[in-house]
Amino acid sequence: MREYRFVRALLIGKKMKTLTKIALIIVPVVALSFSANAHDPKLHVKKNQKADCSKLDHSKMNMKDPVAMAMMKKCSQQAKKKRTTSQDKISQSKINTQHDNH
Amino acid sequence: MRFICKVFLEGITNMKMLKILLILAALGMITMFAVMYSGVVNVAADEPHSKFVYWMLEETRENAIANASADIQVPDLSDPELLLTGGVDYGFMCVSCHLKPGQKESDMSVGLYPAPPNLAIEHQTHDEDSDRRKARNFWIIKHGIKASGMPAWGKTHDDKRIWAMVAFIERLPKLSPEEYQILTAMD
Repeated sequence: MREYRFVRALLIGKKMKTLTKIALIIVPVVALSFSANAHDPKLHVKKNQKADCSKLDHSKMNMKDPVAMAMMKKCSQQAKKKRTTSQDKISQSKINTQHDNH
Repeated sequence: MRFICKVFLEGITNMKMLKILLILAALGMITMFAVMYSGVVNVAADEPHSKFVYWMLEETRENAIANASADIQVPDLSDPELLLTGGVDYGFMCVSCHLKPGQKESDMSVGLYPAPPNLAIEHQTHDEDSDRRKARNFWIIKHGIKASGMPAWGKTHDDKRIWAMVAFIERLPKLSPEEYQILTAMD
C-alpha cells in the first residue's frame, strides 16, 4: 500500500512537471501572439507593389538628374512589360478562339 | 654604500608599486566578475543607458567605424541603375528600421535601442565629407554593428549591391514619397 502511494505521488509529480513545461511554452507563445495583434497588421504586410508612374510630371523633371533617369527607366521598363504581357494575352485568346472554331 | 642603499630603496619602492598595481588589477577583475555574475546590469532595450555610458559607446563606435572605413575607395555612384538596384534592396532590407520619406516611425525604429537613424531625413552626421560618409555607410552595411540590431549584409550581398544601397541612401533624404515608391517598386 505504501509503495503504491509512493508510485502514485511520483507519477503525479511527473505530470505536474510536464504540465509546468507545457505551460512554460504555451504562455509566452500566447502572450507574444497577442502582442503581435496589438498594432496595425498593415505595417507587416510585405509590399510587392508595382511602380506608380501615373504621378510622374515630366515637365518638372531634370532629365540629367540620376533620380529622374532611374525613374524614367523603371517606368518605361514597366510599360514595356505591360505591353508585352497584354500582347501575349491577345495572341493567346486568338489561338483559343481558333481552336474553339475548329 | 649610499649607492647600494639607494638602489635597495628604489627596489623596495618599485616592488611596492608593483604590488599596488597587482592589487588594483585584482580588484578590477573581481569587480568586473561581480558585475557580470550578479545580474545587476539592466540589459532591457526599453531602459536607456545613462548619458555617460551612451557617450562612451557612441564615441567608441564612431571612432571604430571611422578607423575601419578610412581606406575604402569610393567608386563612381552616379549611374542611375544603382538607384534602382539599391532602391529595391532598401525597400526589402532597410526600410523597416530606417524608414522612408513621409514615415516618422515604425515598430522597429521605436523598439530598437540604440534607435536606428532615420535615413529619410537629412541630419548632422559624424562625416560631413561626402566620400567619407559614403565609405562609412558602405562599411556599416557590409559589416554591421555589434549589439545594435544592424546586420552584416556583406555576408549575403556582394560589394556592388552594397554600393548601390549606398548610392540610394545618399539620395534618399531628398526623395518625395512618390519618387521613393517608384524607385523601390519591384519590376
